[in-house]
Amino acid sequence: MGFPVSLRIDDEDVPEAAADGLFAWLREVDARFSPFKPDSEVSRLDRGELAADGLSADLVEVLGLCEEYRVATGGAFDARLPGRGLDPCAVVKGWSVQRAAELLAASGATRFCLNAGGDVVTAGGPWRVGVRHPERADRLCTVLEITDGAVATSARYERGDHIVDGRTGRPATGLLSVTVVARSLTEADATATAAFAMGAEGIEWAAAREGCEVFAVDAEHRVVRTPGLPVAT
Amino acid sequence: MKRALPVFVLTIAGLIPVWRYAPSTGTTTTEAAEIAPTPSSTTSSSPSSSSASPSASSSSSASAAASQVVKGSTVNTSKGAVQVEVTFEGDKISYVRMLQQPNHPQTTAAVPKLIEETLQAQSADIDTVSGATITSEGYIQSLQAAIDAKGA
Repeated sequence: MGFPVSLRIDDEDVPEAAADGLFAWLREVDARFSPFKPDSEVSRLDRGELAADGLSADLVEVLGLCEEYRVATGGAFDARLPGRGLDPCAVVKGWSVQRAAELLAASGATRFCLNAGGDVVTAGGPWRVGVRHPERADRLCTVLEITDGAVATSARYERGDHIVDGRTGRPATGLLSVTVVARSLTEADATATAAFAMGAEGIEWAAAREGCEVFAVDAEHRVVRTPGLPVAT
Repeated sequence: MKRALPVFVLTIAGLIPVWRYAPSTGTTTTEAAEIAPTPSSTTSSSPSSSSASPSASSSSSASAAASQVVKGSTVNTSKGAVQVEVTFEGDKISYVRMLQQPNHPQTTAAVPKLIEETLQAQSADIDTVSGATITSEGYIQSLQAAIDAKGA
């Protein structure tokens, strides 16, 4: 479940080890939380090889987030779809990249832009964050200005109908893409994925979440956004 | 919170409030009264249903014969104390629910008045790109790859 990670640090005096630590953390996350690795903690939990009190604090936190969003979406967002194994990827990605950004900040970085598979965490901006056009890989559909915060986009254009509406068990097709701006990538990424799973009604749902700004393109190519979206001038 | 509660009861009847809101880092002050039980895995309240009261689905003592419910230990996460309860059907996990979550208020706000726009296809000077860029093929074609190539 690899994804490309781009990191730009504009501080002058951040040790190179800071970036090494960030990538080491992301590799560790993949080893521990990937449902595609048979010896990961997630796979072992799913096979019933771990007792409930033998879970790591990180996994408990991830499961808590999965449950939080499942409840908040009325089941549209579900890490445990019928007939499938436990798959917390949608939460793990944002959560782990947010943690990576915090590791970076703890090692002294104050001005950076971290992009992991299209999910962005920034510090010490302003940073200009383009949102990919849902149908043209070489074009943007809007540009945001983010100082300290996170941007995540869920869409169908790359892996097709991979996000399933847990309420119906069918692929979510109501939206072409949805972008969420929030204080943390944990919130932005999970909210974007959950809103995408909900379809058109996910736009209002995400817009009502405290601290979230939303930019969405629906299946009819209509753009809907919140008034507080930090659009760059 | 006072204002949010009635809305919440109407919209997500039968489901627990979501306490955690990531940016806040307040200390955990877990109160028993606020640890409302989650619905059982068979509960499928639709978001618009307002018939069930939140306290109606009180327990998830899974009814299947071979099921076993195990409580996890309480762990302190960066956001506060968390405890899970795992239901096993045989040796497979059928359900996980939270017994304890950080005591942050549910933060659903009113839906702001949404703005409709036309879809644009623009290019602009940017530092990075947000988009579903998961596969390496997608990355190679992406604007982000071009930005990285320029900076390298």
